Amino acid sequence: MKSDAELMALYRKGSRNAFEELFARHHRKVIHFCYRMTGDHARAEEAAQEVFLRIARAASTYQPTARFTTWMYTIARRTTLNFLRDEKEEGEKVPIHATGEEGDPAEGFPLPGPADWGPEQVAWEGELQARFAEALQRLPEVNRAAFVLNRGEGLSYEEVATVLGITVQAVKSRIFRARETLLEELSGLIK
Amino acid sequence: MECKEIREMISAYVDGEALPDEARQVEEHLGTCAECRSAEKRMRMLGMAVTRTEGTVPPDFRENLFARMEEEELLPKRRSIFAFSVRWAAIPLAAAAALALYVLSPPGVREGTDSGKALAPPPASVSVQKSTPVAAAREELSPEDREIVAYLEVLEDPDLFEEPPVDEMEIFVPSAKQRG
Repeated sequence: MKSDAELMALYRKGSRNAFEELFARHHRKVIHFCYRMTGDHARAEEAAQEVFLRIARAASTYQPTARFTTWMYTIARRTTLNFLRDEKEEGEKVPIHATGEEGDPAEGFPLPGPADWGPEQVAWEGELQARFAEALQRLPEVNRAAFVLNRGEGLSYEEVATVLGITVQAVKSRIFRARETLLEELSGLIK
Repeated sequence: MECKEIREMISAYVDGEALPDEARQVEEHLGTCAECRSAEKRMRMLGMAVTRTEGTVPPDFRENLFARMEEEELLPKRRSIFAFSVRWAAIPLAAAAALALYVLSPPGVREGTDSGKALAPPPASVSVQKSTPVAAAREELSPEDREIVAYLEVLEDPDLFEEPPVDEMEIFVPSAKQRG
């Protein structure tokens, strides 16, 4: 099986199949990332399309020394950031740097631990997911990006640092802050 | 160490990113602090929650994207099946042309090649008769197809495989012979 870097090299030479293979490998990851960053399915779809267009447009700048996924997430993060900024400028309610103070912290919804999941699990998961998605959007963008890239996309702290252009120590700090805020917001759901 | 001070380390520990010394400190602390053990458990649950927060792939996502890419000429268009067929039709077409050539050739020409005179130049009249259908058929073919026809002609007449007499020494030492 060809590596992502090899497929990029083939795409640069004009191979349609190479791009189709890259798309097949990564489009779900990109859509999930865009959804986690924007909190809206329609916006996520639009952003994900833009990510692949940017990948194609910037193919000539890709250096095989860089891991393809790191490069891809760098593009994806910039794209979602632009989307969020554009929407904020248009006056839509997209709290990029909100502190969460105006949020409605989860109320005392009983939370069983994973080992105790029973018949209410589905209902609880639905409630948790909805509240979690909302709370995620209230995080400062860079904290959300660091947390999502690490926990959602599986990137190491070092890779997250590369994508966000910050130090590993800063990544560690931002993920911690994201966790603290989320735990505070979901204190009723996650006990 | 105070709980507040070690929480950031616990966060990195949960992510498998704590340094060995930090991991040791965290494990020691968790062994004695129920509150931080609870915090660690809740941190892990957040990780599970984010993996379950997933977008959806619309059914037309791929088609829409590829259409936009084709518009911007970022993606080569797929060759149509028709174009593919025409390309490969050249081979049977060439074979048919070669067969027609053989069938339409006067018997004298075919006999001439059968009698071991393949290497001798054909009579002028025969050459004219043979060249007419050949030229007509070949004019419609590309240079590549004409080459295929030439191979097919050779295959149809095994005598054409016979090589002219060659001095074997010439093959191995051509320069020596030239000098001699």
